[in-house]
Amino acid sequence: MTEHAATFPVLSCMLLAPLTGLVILLLLKENQKFLIRAVSLIAAGVSLGLALYTFANYDKALGGLQFVEKYEMVKTFGITYFVGVEGLNAPMLLLTGIVIFTGVLTMWELEVRTKEFFIWILALVTGVFGVFMSYDLFMFFLFYEIAVVPMYILILVWGSTRKEYAAMKLTLYLMAGSGLIIPGVLLLYASSGLGTFNMVALHGAHFSPWVQKVAFVLLFFGFGVLAAVWPFHTWSPVGHVAAPTAVSMLHAGVLMKLGSFAILRVAMFLCPEGFQYWAHLMALLATIGIVYGVFVGLAQTDLKYVIGYSSVSHMGIVCLGLSTGTIDGINGSVFQMFAHGIMTALFFSSVGYIYDRTHTRDIHELGGFSKIMPIASAFFITAALCGAGVPGMASFWAELLVFIATVKVYPVNGLLAIAALVVGALFALRVVQSTFFNTPNPKFTHFEDVSPFLGLPRMILIATLVFFGFFPQTMVGMIKSAVVPFLQGM
Amino acid sequence: MGSCDPVLLACLATVLLPLLAFALIMIFTWRRPNLSLAISLTASTIPVIIAWTLFFKLDVSKPIIYNFDWLVSETVKVPFGFLLDPTSMVMLVIVATISWLVQIYSIGYMSGDPGFGRFYADLSLFALAMLTLVISSGLLQLYIAWELVGLASYLLIGFWYEKFSASEAGKKAFVVTRFGDIGFFMGLVFLTLFYGSLDIASVNSAAVAKSMPPWLITTSALLIFCGIMGKSAQFPIHVWLPDAMEGPTPVSALLHSATMVAAGVFLLTRIFPFFAASATAMTVVLCISTITLILSSTVGMVATDIKQVWAYSTVSQLGFMAMGLAASGLAAGTLFPGYYHLTTHAAFKALLFLCSGVFIHHFGTNDFFTMATNGGRKLYIPMVTITIASLALAGIFPFSGFFSKEAILGALAQLDNKMWLILGLFGAFLTAYYSFRVIFVMLFPKPGAYGKVPGHVEEEAHSHGGHGHDEGHGVPWVMSFPLLVLAFFTCILGFCQEYLQKFLLGEAHPHHIEYTLLFSAVGCALGGIALAWYDWGRKDAKCVGFISKFPALQNFFIQKWYMDHFWRWFLNTFIYGTFSRIFTYNDRRVVDGGVDAVAFSTIGSGRLLSFLQTAFVQLNMLFMVLVLAGVGLYLLMGR
Repeated sequence: MTEHAATFPVLSCMLLAPLTGLVILLLLKENQKFLIRAVSLIAAGVSLGLALYTFANYDKALGGLQFVEKYEMVKTFGITYFVGVEGLNAPMLLLTGIVIFTGVLTMWELEVRTKEFFIWILALVTGVFGVFMSYDLFMFFLFYEIAVVPMYILILVWGSTRKEYAAMKLTLYLMAGSGLIIPGVLLLYASSGLGTFNMVALHGAHFSPWVQKVAFVLLFFGFGVLAAVWPFHTWSPVGHVAAPTAVSMLHAGVLMKLGSFAILRVAMFLCPEGFQYWAHLMALLATIGIVYGVFVGLAQTDLKYVIGYSSVSHMGIVCLGLSTGTIDGINGSVFQMFAHGIMTALFFSSVGYIYDRTHTRDIHELGGFSKIMPIASAFFITAALCGAGVPGMASFWAELLVFIATVKVYPVNGLLAIAALVVGALFALRVVQSTFFNTPNPKFTHFEDVSPFLGLPRMILIATLVFFGFFPQTMVGMIKSAVVPFLQGM
Repeated sequence: MGSCDPVLLACLATVLLPLLAFALIMIFTWRRPNLSLAISLTASTIPVIIAWTLFFKLDVSKPIIYNFDWLVSETVKVPFGFLLDPTSMVMLVIVATISWLVQIYSIGYMSGDPGFGRFYADLSLFALAMLTLVISSGLLQLYIAWELVGLASYLLIGFWYEKFSASEAGKKAFVVTRFGDIGFFMGLVFLTLFYGSLDIASVNSAAVAKSMPPWLITTSALLIFCGIMGKSAQFPIHVWLPDAMEGPTPVSALLHSATMVAAGVFLLTRIFPFFAASATAMTVVLCISTITLILSSTVGMVATDIKQVWAYSTVSQLGFMAMGLAASGLAAGTLFPGYYHLTTHAAFKALLFLCSGVFIHHFGTNDFFTMATNGGRKLYIPMVTITIASLALAGIFPFSGFFSKEAILGALAQLDNKMWLILGLFGAFLTAYYSFRVIFVMLFPKPGAYGKVPGHVEEEAHSHGGHGHDEGHGVPWVMSFPLLVLAFFTCILGFCQEYLQKFLLGEAHPHHIEYTLLFSAVGCALGGIALAWYDWGRKDAKCVGFISKFPALQNFFIQKWYMDHFWRWFLNTFIYGTFSRIFTYNDRRVVDGGVDAVAFSTIGSGRLLSFLQTAFVQLNMLFMVLVLAGVGLYLLMGR
């Protein structure tokens, strides 16, 4: 992989922006609420701006790693601060930027412990940015853990429904995942004999087949927990339900992608033979997840549970795409990570708006919300249609690519996954019907619709979905520029 | 590139203007009815002008193709493009014109509705999707437009979403058509993987037969036909279309009779050579469409809701078109008979719905017995035009339906097995019967005589509709103008047969008349009308229908052949009752329960160990000393 050094430390700035915001927030007082929100928004805005900059200025023809920065950290262990951008992580950085920016806007009205909330959110985002840009395995894992820990506190303090249980469950699950990742990482580090955590260097190490097989399965399940791979998914719906709005957005929108991105970036990249060996298992689990997610979602009555299970299904599509190991499949898979991230963020921000007012998410109790708050409803319905795979939205293309690639490699799995689309549509429209259509519940008729200011983050999310729905090549071209050399390297 | 090419610009304008209108209304003007109307109407008028201009001025005997890259992955390459050939030109004109007429009609029909702006936004979305579908150059682009059309249909059926039946019908339409679309999508995946191109011109070429084995062609064709079954409401997934009548009547006229549901048949004509390459596929198409024709005609005979009658009539006519195409495919014929019927049907069925809309708007009921007893025949323009349309539907000379039905029956007559022809004639007989059942009831109402009609409830219609209209006589011109235009087309399209044939096929086949066929067809139609007259029209008619002599059969028809029951049972038993329930149980108890069990057993073992922490310092000290002694002993022994 060719590396092109950055003329200006864009990535470090992207990483430091939320960190700086965090430090400033520490100095502010709890009652300076406007200032707290403004600082968080600016920090998030700077990151988003820089993510957009890297996305737009990445030279696809040149390829390779660009905007690279490399500083040695611990020489004895071969740990370096090594960050860069290529076609695979540029969409992820953009996704993170968009979700955190809109997430801060969505939580604008938060009154309880505002300062602490935004501090933890910014800490989480720092970790997420770090994971997506790191090419050093140690730093990668370090940032990964940084991203996971704040989640516990965010759910425990600001959450709702069974929050202690959910926070504990989520943390234990992810810790168990880390318990698998560490041996995997150390196995690779030790058996390479290079004494470095540099992923690009490790990629050239040519591990022996059994090392690859063992390391891959450890890393796949370890990261798979975070990607909600079936049957390690049950923490995710529970966690979504308990988490406050912005945290659900970040959690489903970005955190789950850390898992699938890491499977691609670390497990598949470093252990290609291990991947070949386990690919069938991956495809099987992914297909089960897709079918299973929609059917379980069909029986849920809590809005957030419904979305949680749709995430399980959609993340299954991501894994299915990865398991094909083809250009189409991985293009679709990364595209799906992006599209699903934006879509779920839209979902949760819409549900959050309704829940904050009605204090219920039971779809039988809600009803007729199109009458009460037409704009808020339009946001949710857009997300639901996107989830049902309606064209004109980004996820349509992602699913298209994954499905075609899968039918080619695993015909049965592919056809089953396609067939699950019907249930997916039923599942999305069922929720839309009972929540937004029919006669309004008189208890809720006095609530006001989304104000233009609070509508702004949702509009940004919809605009992103529609933009990539109409111009998919901007995204696919980007991803493809990295996938082609990636697969040649395998 | 090609920015100066006027044809390309015209195509782009046709597609992009409705998109622009949709976006503008949805984002900015949805609260302002008049502004929304102006935007939407502008965006639908220009495509009409473009469509007619291209139709007359452009020479499409050699197809004009534009292609741009939309998405390029590896095997998946999706171009965005336009294909202008005779097949797409005719449909373009139909869609643009009816779409425009319905938008005008809706000014009157929907006036005062709180969702007026949203209605026009949805109509624009529909226009965008349908026009793209018609002129798209590749099958995947067509599929995308196809799905968007389904979305527009979903939004428009459920337009009055406060009504449970409407939102339910919208959902049903989307999910049922999606059921068929899955097959369509799988067919496209097969074509992509085994043939490599989804370009319509290429799929229609002889190269397909060379690179794909016959069984694969048949499989792909049948899978694609699943999508057609969904969209064109063929048995057994036709159940969504009658329910779709919950939408506003202009929507039923535009989407659910004239254009959108015809999209399925249009797709059949679009890749007709591909379908014709597989005789097996064509036979399946023929069987399914024939069942559809008979099923829906019989249900149409007993419906009391005027829109239900026309809905089942639409289903039956779509089946009839598909029959014509399948017969042509089997007998090495052309796509002309089926396509011609699509054209004439679009005009007269839209007319039937729009006329019915006037009655519904005026009397505030869908029951045509109630309309009749409240003086429906006094609305002259709709009454005259609905009669013209019914004559066309029944296939009476000189109205358009006569000629197109004749063409299809001609195609059926070419098959060796005459059973298909007989079934087709039987369908024509039933069609004439049920359409004139409506007309005779409306024309010669017999108040008080309809008590025994199953499904009809005697009620006082609240005159002048539920929309607060208060015109004593007649109908607003925005509503009667489209009726007159469509009636005009219904009258003249029959005489355009040779012109259209020349346009579509490049040559006019000399029309040699088979008198036996002609007389049997006319005989069937007249027989149906006569029976309708006997049952409903004449002065001392019994007004129960001949079918009441067979109560079991009548009940079977009234229950719509129990198809709705079947699907409801299927959904409840399998989807909700089996998979969803088992998986959910599994998730709660097995997967999650297993994890929780691990957690609890960890806590439990912690509890057990905690018994050792007894807070007796002496005991702890003793334990420590013992352990230290043990370690020391071990070290000593190790030496």
